[in-house]
Amino acid sequence: MKLSYQWLKELSGVDWPPEEMGDRLTLAGTACEYVTPTAEYMRDAIVGHVLELGPIEGADKIKKAIVDTGADKLEIVCGAPNVAAGQKVAFAGVGAKLVDDFVIRKVRIRGVESSGMICSERELGMSDDHSGIIVLDDDAPVGAKLVDYLDYDDYILTFELTPNRGDSMSAIGVARDLVALTSKKLRRPQFELIETSTPASGSVKVTIENLEDCPRYAARIIRNVRVGRSPWWLRKRLLACGMRPISNIVDITNFVMLECGHPLHAFDLDRFGSDEVVVRSARDGEKFTTLDGQEHTLDPQVLLITNGKEGVAAGGVMGGLDSEVEDDTTSILLEAAYFNPSMIRKSRRKLGIVTESSSRFEKGTDPNGIEYAINRAAFLMQELCGGEVEKGIVDCYPSRIEKKVIDFRPERCNKVLGSNYTTERMKQILSDLELTVEGDGPLKVTVPTFRPDLEKEIDLIEEVVRIEGFDSIDDAVHTIGPLYTRIRPEDVFADDTRAVLTGCGFDEMLDHGLTHSKLAALFNPDLPQVKILNPVSEELDIMRNSLIPTALVAVGHNIAHRVVDVCLFELGKVFFAGQANDDWREEERLVLAVTGNSPQNWREKARPYDFYDLTGALERLAEHFRWPQFSYKPEKAPFLDEKLSCRLMLDRRGVGWIGRVDDEKARRLGIKQPVMIAELSVDGLIDTRAKALGFEPLAVYPAAPRDIAIVVDDRVPAGDIIESVKKAAGELAETVEIFDLYTGSQIEKGKKSIALSIIYRSQTGSLSNDQVDEMQKKVAADLEKNFNAEIRDK
Amino acid sequence: MTLLEEVARLEQEARERISKADSLASLKEARIYYLGRKGPLTAILKSVKDLPVDQRRQVGAEANKCRVQLEAEFTEAEKKFSDTAPRQLIDPTLPGTAKRLGARHLITQVLDEMCAIFHGMGFEIAGGPDIETDYYNFTALNFPPDHPARDMQDTFFVEGDRLLRTHTTPVQVRVLEKQKPPIKIITPGKCFRNEAISSRAHVAFHQVDGFLIDEGVTMADLKGVLVAFCKAFFGEGLKLKFRPSFFPFTEPSAEVDIQCFLCSGAGCQVCKQSGWLEILGCGMIHPNVLANTGHDPEKYTGLAWGIGVERPAMLKYRINDIRLFFNNDLRFLRQFI
Repeated sequence: MKLSYQWLKELSGVDWPPEEMGDRLTLAGTACEYVTPTAEYMRDAIVGHVLELGPIEGADKIKKAIVDTGADKLEIVCGAPNVAAGQKVAFAGVGAKLVDDFVIRKVRIRGVESSGMICSERELGMSDDHSGIIVLDDDAPVGAKLVDYLDYDDYILTFELTPNRGDSMSAIGVARDLVALTSKKLRRPQFELIETSTPASGSVKVTIENLEDCPRYAARIIRNVRVGRSPWWLRKRLLACGMRPISNIVDITNFVMLECGHPLHAFDLDRFGSDEVVVRSARDGEKFTTLDGQEHTLDPQVLLITNGKEGVAAGGVMGGLDSEVEDDTTSILLEAAYFNPSMIRKSRRKLGIVTESSSRFEKGTDPNGIEYAINRAAFLMQELCGGEVEKGIVDCYPSRIEKKVIDFRPERCNKVLGSNYTTERMKQILSDLELTVEGDGPLKVTVPTFRPDLEKEIDLIEEVVRIEGFDSIDDAVHTIGPLYTRIRPEDVFADDTRAVLTGCGFDEMLDHGLTHSKLAALFNPDLPQVKILNPVSEELDIMRNSLIPTALVAVGHNIAHRVVDVCLFELGKVFFAGQANDDWREEERLVLAVTGNSPQNWREKARPYDFYDLTGALERLAEHFRWPQFSYKPEKAPFLDEKLSCRLMLDRRGVGWIGRVDDEKARRLGIKQPVMIAELSVDGLIDTRAKALGFEPLAVYPAAPRDIAIVVDDRVPAGDIIESVKKAAGELAETVEIFDLYTGSQIEKGKKSIALSIIYRSQTGSLSNDQVDEMQKKVAADLEKNFNAEIRDK
Repeated sequence: MTLLEEVARLEQEARERISKADSLASLKEARIYYLGRKGPLTAILKSVKDLPVDQRRQVGAEANKCRVQLEAEFTEAEKKFSDTAPRQLIDPTLPGTAKRLGARHLITQVLDEMCAIFHGMGFEIAGGPDIETDYYNFTALNFPPDHPARDMQDTFFVEGDRLLRTHTTPVQVRVLEKQKPPIKIITPGKCFRNEAISSRAHVAFHQVDGFLIDEGVTMADLKGVLVAFCKAFFGEGLKLKFRPSFFPFTEPSAEVDIQCFLCSGAGCQVCKQSGWLEILGCGMIHPNVLANTGHDPEKYTGLAWGIGVERPAMLKYRINDIRLFFNNDLRFLRQFI
């Protein structure tokens, strides 16, 4: 919303400079975003007189004008369609700065030297109107500064109001805050309406069928108006409020809305189609054309103003095309109504239109401010359009909306705020805001109907503090709180996971969690999806059901940007809908993805990232969190290559998947290099460390290390070999590790050589060589038996 | 030539050798020649005792002075050639070979930093679902149905009558349903807004909302908590401005601006010449919210705030495009190892 600085000054009597006025209002909750001068691009313009106008040879669009500037008579080339000899015009000479910082220079056009410009409103920064030049009144003094002649030295205050403050969507509303900030008195406009003896009730009847959505509808009849251009003072006000002047009747309704915040609508009574107003809900499928020429198909969410037969306006949102005021209109049906804010919201959403009217009605107008608004507009139509106002308001208002009375306890106010305002000061602030304050102890505060946002004591407390300012409250230096603040296990888990994985060289990625249904289906065709009903784009139409596609998008992004060595992880949620109310599932998962080569240095060559980079990181996590050992069970996942696709098992429970991403699917994301990926659900794995961590006495007896090397069929899983050794050696085997693996020309084809190192140790005594040899024999025998292993270097 | 003359000549000759020396070796050779046990100066000093008594003193003093002088000059000259450090066994300038560290995402880091500050003030973390119901996201937080306040937060709606939470404040309701005051909680997490993706806006962002409810909690406590937070996070000495605002779930409500820490309030591009940066919203918990969850709003009062993570992170680290946070471009991520 834009308002004129001069206007606010007039209404409030507050004469702070424009910037300060904006800042002070902002600090009182009436947020002023910008303050801009109206006349910035008018400063150099003067009143000029077009003495002569003649054609230019070879040009039909432009003409040559001789303009008297008071000091000079200059030749000017002008292309405006409405320029004429004898006109007083807005003239800018050479060197003048116009809108967009355009500086006028002497130019030669078609052989004519042009020494200035006759200006339009747009060129002077007054509006966007560039349809023709500004034509001034005939008595404008030639040579006078235009800004002085037009009295246009003003500022536009642009407000970004919060949705609760319907009351401040007008000049009087904002002036009320200014008055409260300075304890001055609001200067309401005074006027005297003269009515004819003809009763308006003879010209129009009003019936409201839907009182819930329209509790009040008032109408006035104004006859014999002359539609034309508004006087300058009115156009100036509208321009300084960012509104385009249209015609005196429309300008008056807009002006009164800007002044008091109540939207009005003027119908052409002769085009209205009847002498009755019937307010009712629109019918399903009913058609209606708004005055912007758009045809709408309605439903009962829209409240329709009708002439008893068909719609003439979408109540509170926009008027209809057929009953619009035109140049030849002579009789006006002036509407001032109060609409239910939530109906307006539904209606304007249905219609897809936001207007100055709808945004005011939606935030709540004053049902009892209607008399002022309708009388003020009728008065102006009488003064400015020669209108004759018929006697009385035809007012349908069967149940009056009354003022609320709220108890206000000054001590409660100070208790909530931590302030120490005096009761006197609080009373004064509330009265300055035009609330009525009575009584002692708990004050009885009567809230006028222009403040529907004030419902409870706490709302009044806010009024007090916003006028007094938050600076009037000291900052506390300590607060209430517990002696001990717990850190949740899931936060410890997340932090530790990040520490372990970044320590392993993985970079953390973060996705917003929205993804494309088709992408998700490509990777997990059988997983259910949670659909977003109003997606911002087709590509983000579901909540993700796996971390894998989003991780691969990140991998693809990096490869596309020539970062081909990628080692990423993410901790994030996946989402599954439920049938009943409470079985919606949000599962915390971890994804790891590697592709390209490992980092290299002068000692270690780069090598392709592979499966073991993932299992290595997982095993580090298992070690830290004291999880049991992971195992990898070959099983096909839809998104993995069948030659390397495993269920990730923990304690014989499937917790996720690990393997190589299916090449074809990866290619769909622009990835043409192998990617290894693992995803696991971490729910249930988060507080394992704290539970399992414990001290074991340091070993007292010496260790007995032994190695064993075997040759086996290369399809025998290493994990099985280790298990066999552990089982054979029993509790005496402290550790079993593979320290060498070989396949190649030195051994038979289809075989592999594996070397294991076993450390034997007893907690109860030193092991003798014989005891250890005995164990080794048992280990070897089991390996031979279980895997048909050939024991080397026996 | 007298011995005194001889000393002077040796001194001059040695100086010439020092100034002309082109290596440490030649200097060392010269030092040995002039000052060594078999050198001419030593010979003169040795011969002093054989001189007549009247000469002994003078020659001895001069020769000794010359020796001390030359010693110092040789030492000084040798410094030019010798490395200060002793020769090393290996080349210590080769890069070290420890495993490369990964980077935590910057949002994680900033989120953790914010949580740590509030944890230090005694706030505990609570969480809730990203997919919420209208009740927790709006209704229980005093958003009337069909009120324009709902337009303040462009909402993604999800099938099954759900929505993506537009703030983390729904967790406040969930906590209030289960706990009795005193309650001192922060609710960090992801939220969603249905906004076109641009350099300034994204469909998702993070928040650290928080609240404190007890008997006697005041707006002064709210200001104190937030002033302390801003000092800890943005730096000491910055001014804060509390502006009245509107959120359905707090009353009175305020927005907090901090003095622009890039220009110290003088006005710059980042603060659009205003000298101030909008940083968070806050207020006293609306009595309706307390009543909706079964707490007596006469007995208890509460303070609450909501601060975004992305915007402060962008301001603090001068990041000009919010999309960088979700692109997962390693050239971005690895800047914050």
